[in-house]
Amino acid sequence: MTASEVVEVEGHIIDSLILAKLMDVILASGADYEVVSVDIGRTNTDLSRARLEVTASDEDALASLLVELQAHGANRVTSVDAELLAADRDGVLPAGFYSTTNLPTAVRLGGRWVEVDNPEMDCGLVVTPDGRARTVPMHRVRVDDMVVVGNDGIRVTPPSRPRGATPFEFMSSEVSSEKPKGLLVADVASRMRLHRAGGAKILAVCGPAVVHTGAAPAIARMVREGWIDVLFAGNGFAAHDIESNVMGTSLGVSVRAGTAAEGGHSNHLRVINEVRRYGSIAAAVEAGYIDGGVMYECVTKGVPFVLAGSIRDDGPLPDVYPNVVEAADAMRSLLPGVGVALMLASTLHAIATGNCLPSGVETYCVDINQAVVTKLADRGSHQALGIVTDVGLFVEGMCQELCQ
Amino acid sequence: MCTPEHFGVLYEINSWMHTEVRVDLDLARSQWEGLRAGLAASGAAIELLDPVEGLPDLVFTANAGIVNGMQYVPARFRHPERQREVPYDVAWFDARGYTVDELPGVASHEGAGDALPFAGTLLSGYRSRSDVVTHGALSTLTRAPVRSVELVEPRLYHLDLTFCPLDERRAIIAPLGWDRYGCKVVEALVPEPLVLDDDAAFAFCANSVVVGSTVHMPSCPPAVGRRLEAWGFDVVVHDVGEFLKAGGACRCLTLALDVELHRT
Repeated sequence: MTASEVVEVEGHIIDSLILAKLMDVILASGADYEVVSVDIGRTNTDLSRARLEVTASDEDALASLLVELQAHGANRVTSVDAELLAADRDGVLPAGFYSTTNLPTAVRLGGRWVEVDNPEMDCGLVVTPDGRARTVPMHRVRVDDMVVVGNDGIRVTPPSRPRGATPFEFMSSEVSSEKPKGLLVADVASRMRLHRAGGAKILAVCGPAVVHTGAAPAIARMVREGWIDVLFAGNGFAAHDIESNVMGTSLGVSVRAGTAAEGGHSNHLRVINEVRRYGSIAAAVEAGYIDGGVMYECVTKGVPFVLAGSIRDDGPLPDVYPNVVEAADAMRSLLPGVGVALMLASTLHAIATGNCLPSGVETYCVDINQAVVTKLADRGSHQALGIVTDVGLFVEGMCQELCQ
Repeated sequence: MCTPEHFGVLYEINSWMHTEVRVDLDLARSQWEGLRAGLAASGAAIELLDPVEGLPDLVFTANAGIVNGMQYVPARFRHPERQREVPYDVAWFDARGYTVDELPGVASHEGAGDALPFAGTLLSGYRSRSDVVTHGALSTLTRAPVRSVELVEPRLYHLDLTFCPLDERRAIIAPLGWDRYGCKVVEALVPEPLVLDDDAAFAFCANSVVVGSTVHMPSCPPAVGRRLEAWGFDVVVHDVGEFLKAGGACRCLTLALDVELHRT
């Protein structure tokens, strides 16, 4: 793992070529630098000052490079170790705990910067006995866990926009309904291809509107063809997906004719009831009760899904987590390796998922309602890019791009 | 200057020093007197620092510190053997009404041995004896711009073994002692350098004292002498062979007191 440190040098470093020499020394050693700041003196008697962030291949290489840089006057910017305090109660962080962001974070321990394994916002930071640092949600803290308190010895890397031919380039605003959707669809699809080629997983977070708008068959096809690796949703999405496949309606409205079916308002309840009789969605698929749709494809393809419950759920389906804390933990367990998150017409599940995602996960939020995207960003998922459009059309387009 | 009563090679802190080499103290004394007489003959007024028993290198007054008008910045020596000289240097300057300004921190700087003024700039060496972090502080204290040069040849461990300012445009230089950045820095600073070859550099030709238009040198190869004479300088060569045994020559045996670094 790479190691980095900020060094500062002061003096007549421009005229004496000290800054140039430092940069050359760093590069010659195989390390790299980023100029954090340069403050050049106004006259030839004023001192100049520069800060460089030096990144070497590992801690040992960094340590020997720092010794060499020190000989030329560049000293590591003094920083202190993070303060740790043992938790004295299960599920309770020590008072003054460091509250995390979803940005890449490092903790200084014993003079070394240790990268946090799993950045997640609104958690505590626990240092394990083997010297690793992990984010831990409040309820998962156990007595004697060593928790970071205060803000000393914490380094957070500010967010940076990906560069290159991405939707960012031609989007002047992060949320906009006034963009050519065809181009956006193609761009999101190409980002998915890129991440897939790099071995990253793709997460889809779906709201019931995906089914209402008729996009479920496209999602099902993307699951079948391996474009979705993890699915998060709630009781509603799964229930209507199954309803539309078993009964041909979504919330009682025919997905083909678009007209209300006789007694259709209870269709989803009957479907949920039957799945409960089988004991699980997988069992209902096994028995042939469910023979198509997103949930069917997930079960047959072995794509893991988490259905998180809420207070308004009918039933709910037997696979739904009625306990929200357990649901969030189940979602967390599926996040490692995710590189792209598609938030499709889901307000609550999108924000819940956003809360668990590291900022490095490319997040696309597709909704007809601009407020959803704004809410997501307001709750800290600044990496989310909003695409304001009808989810049905968007998903159809993406399916055509990816599943040719 | 400081008389050489207690001079000797009693320890080894540079690659020229070998404790098994005996110093002929009588010869050293006559060599030192010869240099003093020569400098005085060129018009220099000489002031003396009392020698101290057990401080054999006190004779090398160039390292006592930086003089800037009536300001004196004491050296902070790298080696404990020479650190004990500092109180005697400070007492001398203090008694004569100088303002004594200490360098901040703990980093080393070995005085005029590693810092020589040239055309309004203080050229200062670092790495072997002085730490580059002191250069900024030196500039702040003296209000002179400082250029730093890394000394990379262990046998040329002080700047004054590689650089001798002659006048506003000219200097004797031994680039052998510097890294390539240092060479560029000096190239940009000195319009007309007299470049020493390796033999002349190791013969300490750059460790010379300029008084008016006379250059007092420990040795002078013919080519160097011709160039200096062509520039209008007179050359006087002093045998300081006993002091070379400790790694010092003419310049090391003197500290210029008529230095004004800050120019308004």
